[in-house]
Amino acid sequence: MQPNVVARVIAGLKAAGVSVVCYLPDSLFKELYPALDQDPDIRTIQVTNEGEGAAICGGLFLSGKRAALIMENSGLRASIEPLARMGMGAGIPVVMLMSYRGDLGENNWWAIPHGMTMEPLLEAMRIPYRVVDREDEIERSIRDAFQWSYAAYYHSAIALTGALVR
Amino acid sequence: MKRYDCMERLGAMLKDELVILSLGGSVDEWYNAAPHMRAASLFQQQLGCVTPQAFGLAVGLPHRRIVSLDTDGGMLFNLGILATLGNEQPANLLVVVWDNECYQSIGGPPTHTAKGKVDIAAIARGAGVGHSYTVYDLDAFESRCRDGLAARVPHVIVAKVEPGVRRDVHRKHSDGREDKYIFVRHIEATEGIVIMGPSEHN
Repeated sequence: MQPNVVARVIAGLKAAGVSVVCYLPDSLFKELYPALDQDPDIRTIQVTNEGEGAAICGGLFLSGKRAALIMENSGLRASIEPLARMGMGAGIPVVMLMSYRGDLGENNWWAIPHGMTMEPLLEAMRIPYRVVDREDEIERSIRDAFQWSYAAYYHSAIALTGALVR
Repeated sequence: MKRYDCMERLGAMLKDELVILSLGGSVDEWYNAAPHMRAASLFQQQLGCVTPQAFGLAVGLPHRRIVSLDTDGGMLFNLGILATLGNEQPANLLVVVWDNECYQSIGGPPTHTAKGKVDIAAIARGAGVGHSYTVYDLDAFESRCRDGLAARVPHVIVAKVEPGVRRDVHRKHSDGREDKYIFVRHIEATEGIVIMGPSEHN
């Protein structure tokens, strides 16, 4: 991930009012995590699995603070159970920013299932999402996701792909 | 030791705190044992999410004491949260684990603590939450909770309680989504903030 892309993501999070990020590190966003850790305006919490991160973000929503869950898209599979119960049950939203592993251009065999499952799972969960591959769409997309989730009280997702993450 | 009796002792110590609690019979027990905490308490229906949500609340409201009322089954579902608490060391979070050694809400099949080998407090200490204790009687429970409520580091209190649900309590007259609104409105009123505000247009 190039420094200018990292900067756009952080600018988007700030523009959306995010003050806390929960993450499980991954390779495509490798440069993003230390930048978030070093940002004085954002508190980062590294979690042990993405489902735990989703639940922490849910607690942050209840506190009135805006949080984002940042992860590889495989983390969506680990998060489905808490996401289903929090979102469809109580109406507690989680906004996710994911790296799109397994998209066209993928060169790792193990990452192919991530690409095959991400969009069908989001659709099964009725989670609106945007796949972003242009730098100038990052900030707007993150702001749009928060706007929607705070109107719907349901989850939304942004997946970054293409040259943004390779 | 009965969970309800513990709840009465804990409830008597609470006033301005916020509580996240686990599903099942303990919900009605808690609302009866600590009726003054009704709007300040929210139950969560999913195993493994009670303490993470309480931790998120603690991060978002660092000036306010948060209490997690978790369970053996719930904590065992996501032991990783103990490692996250160990690293993050929230200064305003007390975690109580009702350890009845069974999945009470589905009829009582045993959890992993039933064989006497699994020690959740020891796991918590190993994960970095140094003040983690198992208690077997009411006075020890109350004492440990009082310490945890006053501390500036996280405490995990594993309360060994008898299986069973108290039946002579009132059932709450609300569903989980309604409970969330009650809880959020309570936080909005007591914090002077807006969490779930109006849309642009009515």
